[in-house]
Amino acid sequence: MPRKKILGSHVKRLLSGVSDHGRRHLTEVETDLRQTELLLEEAIEKLTTSFMAIHAAVGDRQSTIDMMLAGGTPSAEDSERLGAMSGEIGVHVNAAITSMQFQDMTSQLLDRTLKRVSGLRDFLDTVGTHGEYILPDSGSEEIVDLLGKVSMALAIQSLELRSALRKAVNQQHLESGDIELF
Amino acid sequence: MAKTILAVDDSSSLRQMVAFSLKAAGYNVVEAVDGQDGLDKARLQAVDLVLTDQNMPRMDGLALIKLLRELPEYQKTPILMLTTESSDEMKSKGRAAGANGWLVKPFDPQRLIEVVKKVIG
Repeated sequence: MPRKKILGSHVKRLLSGVSDHGRRHLTEVETDLRQTELLLEEAIEKLTTSFMAIHAAVGDRQSTIDMMLAGGTPSAEDSERLGAMSGEIGVHVNAAITSMQFQDMTSQLLDRTLKRVSGLRDFLDTVGTHGEYILPDSGSEEIVDLLGKVSMALAIQSLELRSALRKAVNQQHLESGDIELF
Repeated sequence: MAKTILAVDDSSSLRQMVAFSLKAAGYNVVEAVDGQDGLDKARLQAVDLVLTDQNMPRMDGLALIKLLRELPEYQKTPILMLTTESSDEMKSKGRAAGANGWLVKPFDPQRLIEVVKKVIG
């Protein structure tokens, strides 16, 4: 193959490698950020509902509590409602606990994103470092050799990054997860 | 006498929520920040059940289970995984390591307590 064609094919291979690996990693970043956004939105919505429900449960009984503090005797119905307050609040607290676990999931997703961004920076550093060895008077054989090396280094770096960033959080909603006893 | 549960998770908020839920149901809870800490605490104090996360620094949940199962006092102690991981592949690995159950996060406190009661009473 003529030297010019060899050089061209190496440049093409390098550029398409940078493009493919970069796009693949950025797509994962985008997916993780969208998932984080979904989980955060749902968490805020559910936590707001839980806190408002707790406030309402206490508020509904406030007049009975005020009456008792003033020395009055609550009706049988009010006594029953006061007795049920703990259980009612417990239900809302349990729902809030499930929703609050957004932190555990989103922090894992953000950690994965940060590691990927950091890996992409290293990826670009590799391109830059190898590029520094190409001088204005470098021969085409030398350039072909360097382009081959940088393409290989980038492919390895990208694969290592992908295998180090296995996805451990696939949840899209804050609903109680599956339970399986072996 | 109240039974003791070892809760292992690197997320402090998750540990707090697990401890809050289990203590409200009458259990004692010992907390550990990762697998290594969990192993150290399990060696120091006998526990009735281990509830562990999978992905943690220093030592993950599967490694913790394998090492616990090597200790004579933990060969039959129930161990449950509580993790965001939900793949069949990971569940199989957990089972092979010696886990007795797999709970996918997020957990519902009521359901968690039901499972714990079923396993250790």
